[in-house]
Amino acid sequence: MAVYILRRSISAIGVMAMVGMFVFLLLRLAPGDPAAMIAGRSATAEMIAGIREQMGLNDPLPVQFIRWVRDLIGGDFGTSIFAGRPVLELISQRLEPTISLSILTMIVSVTVGVSFGVLAAWRAGGLVDRILTAFATVGFSVPVFVVGFFLIYLFAIRTHWLPVQGYQPIDHGFGPWLVHLILPTVTLSVPYIAFIARITRASMLEVLSEDYMRTAAAKGASSYAMLFHHALKNAGAPILTVIGLSFAGLIGGVVITETVFNIPGVGRLVVDAINNRDYPIIQGVLILVSGLYVLINLAVDLSYTLIDPRIRY
Amino acid sequence: MISRRDLIKTGMAAGAAISIPSLLRAQTSPSTDQTVRMVIDNLSVFDPVVTTADSTYTHAFAVYDTLFGTDSQFAPHPQMVGKWDVSDDRKTYTFELRDGLGWHDGTPVTATDCVASIRRWGQVAPGGQLLMARVRDISKKDDKTFAIALKEPLGALLNILAFQGPFIMREKDANLSPAEQVTANIGSGPFKFNHALARPGASFTYDRNEKYVPRTEAPDGLAGGKIVKVDRVIWDIGLFADQQTALAALHSGEIDFLLAPPLDLLPVIESDPNLELQVLDKAGSDYLLRMNCLQKPFDNVKARQAMLHLVDQEAMMRAAVGDPKYFRTVTSMFGNETPMSNDENTEWFKKGGDPEKAKQLFKEAGYDGEKVVILQPTDWAAASNASQLLAAELRKIGLNAELAPSDWGGVVARRANKGPVEDGGWSIFITTEPEAILGNVITDVTLPMNGESGWFGWPKNDEYEALRVKWADLETLEERKVLARKMQQIWWDYVPSVLLGQSVAPSARRKTLTGLIGVPAWIPFWNMQKAEA
Repeated sequence: MAVYILRRSISAIGVMAMVGMFVFLLLRLAPGDPAAMIAGRSATAEMIAGIREQMGLNDPLPVQFIRWVRDLIGGDFGTSIFAGRPVLELISQRLEPTISLSILTMIVSVTVGVSFGVLAAWRAGGLVDRILTAFATVGFSVPVFVVGFFLIYLFAIRTHWLPVQGYQPIDHGFGPWLVHLILPTVTLSVPYIAFIARITRASMLEVLSEDYMRTAAAKGASSYAMLFHHALKNAGAPILTVIGLSFAGLIGGVVITETVFNIPGVGRLVVDAINNRDYPIIQGVLILVSGLYVLINLAVDLSYTLIDPRIRY
Repeated sequence: MISRRDLIKTGMAAGAAISIPSLLRAQTSPSTDQTVRMVIDNLSVFDPVVTTADSTYTHAFAVYDTLFGTDSQFAPHPQMVGKWDVSDDRKTYTFELRDGLGWHDGTPVTATDCVASIRRWGQVAPGGQLLMARVRDISKKDDKTFAIALKEPLGALLNILAFQGPFIMREKDANLSPAEQVTANIGSGPFKFNHALARPGASFTYDRNEKYVPRTEAPDGLAGGKIVKVDRVIWDIGLFADQQTALAALHSGEIDFLLAPPLDLLPVIESDPNLELQVLDKAGSDYLLRMNCLQKPFDNVKARQAMLHLVDQEAMMRAAVGDPKYFRTVTSMFGNETPMSNDENTEWFKKGGDPEKAKQLFKEAGYDGEKVVILQPTDWAAASNASQLLAAELRKIGLNAELAPSDWGGVVARRANKGPVEDGGWSIFITTEPEAILGNVITDVTLPMNGESGWFGWPKNDEYEALRVKWADLETLEERKVLARKMQQIWWDYVPSVLLGQSVAPSARRKTLTGLIGVPAWIPFWNMQKAEA
């Protein structure tokens, strides 16, 4: 196991190095100039040139790259071109909303999605299955901003039950924190519930047709024991993979939901940075998110051994 | 089988769940204290010397103060300055600061701060550069007095200091290079930047500066008394990312003001009895297209004149703005509303444009099928739509027009390329300029015709430039109006830009918010007041 973790860690460093180099080159080759963006619409070429010089953007690309990598190894993710503040500080300010939203979304999505999937598989071909499958299809197809605006209209504008937008840090109180996250969580959960339900249903159907399930039924096992003790555990690996990847994806990409509900998270940070061509922020976020992907993947792979004793590393 | 006990438990749980929102409503409902929440724009640069962005100026007007300010007619009036004097030879101006000026950190504002601020601003701002070219010395006389000594008289000096003039910063901030951002946000203005409540990506908070001593005159534009009537202003920058959500927040009372609601949603605002539309900047902005005067085909004056005849302003503005209530045609290079506006040499204007005349002029220019590249900012709907219409009109008269779509960031980078289109250059881009700035010959970057050292498009005309330089020497409005006519005569013969029309943008506010001051492009936070809902 230790050798496996070490091998995965070394390959993770390689992956992140490739990501870093790719992102750095892509940003420099893409059209756009952060100095021109800072200077504003009416800026003169002279003003823009002054900012470029100040920011070190006139240096040759290899010099800029080596400087960035050297700083990164030293734990310095650089300074935002626009905000003039350390990238890590800006990212850490934005992590709480994104992580809050992601965790709540995963809790709701896994709970509801797995339940729906199990139920649909258990009642395969019946009315319940057809209703849940239809929900899964629609839920996965409807864009999140449509769901978001519908919920805003219903629960914020019509009834005033919940706020339209915004985020309250958890240290301002659990109530305000939760209230501001209910609509975004529900919005973001819809496609994930649909996705997890579909995967769960498919996995469960496969397991439920196995011989040992028939044996369990013949031995008089209860429906609960058959579904949750035998079937779900053995159908768990693909479900766990989907959940892990979904969670990693959520951390890096809740952009639309964060925008619709005005949540100042990492997704919004990186979109603003792209619009402004704020290279250090884009690079910093992508390096962190790719690192997170690698970590979550590793955690998912390791967790297989917990749910399926046949798997060994 | 569901038991009766399960049913009761389920019912109680559902009841509790439904009641949670109402229990928490008090914590999420908009507060009715004197806090104003505004959605204006994004704000990412806090130093008005580093950038010309409107949002940074709005921030700066809240936090910093200025030596002079312009009234609604663009005339200069003292602001931080108490008394001022000019020598008989009109070469030395002496300024004395008024009493009671203090920095937000508690220290007094001194003449040294003013001298340092003028020097830093003078290195980059167009008006500042003109001033510095004429300056012999800027020096402190005593703690409250400083003087600007000139090599020769500069009639427009007070106008330069008043309109887009220096925001006064502490000496230690003003000693930074003009390209290095000041992030301290310590000013002497009517509002204090609340660093503890700054939420990058979400909101910035400005508190009333209790120690601010306003002038006694009535507020008028950016001049007069800056009297703060609310406790706090929260600038919701996060909501700017999605105007639909911002509008929903305005409806629900979570915000009080939305600077630029989407034009297609104006009827929704009009139908809400709690909301009101208001045009704050009555002069608005002029849409204009800029041509690359260095490259074919627009290095030929006939081709540029052809564009003047081709453009149908009403069609362009319908594409860009939509509702005719919010636009009109414009023929003066100084816009419709400024004192400099005039009708000299505007015979080219024809309702609906004159494509045949344009076609003939392109022929006279020797147009030979060269590619005409229009930079199309796809993240700015108005300019994007106008670019598409322009491309279609050009193709109709036989030009090889091509759109180069990118976000605005791509446009501002590419427009700096002076080379031919084959090497990543460009032919045309569309932008806007506030009329208030168009009327100010010194500070507007689109008005010079000083060739490659000037603004994108790089028009060059020495005769015009000789006239433009005279502007700063003139003392009276009448003299400037005469000069404006002469400049316009040359301008529309040379055609460095083509006007597409003038537009104004309504802002949306809750009716409980009143007293907003209408000035070009920026939103002053003073004078607003908020009534109980």
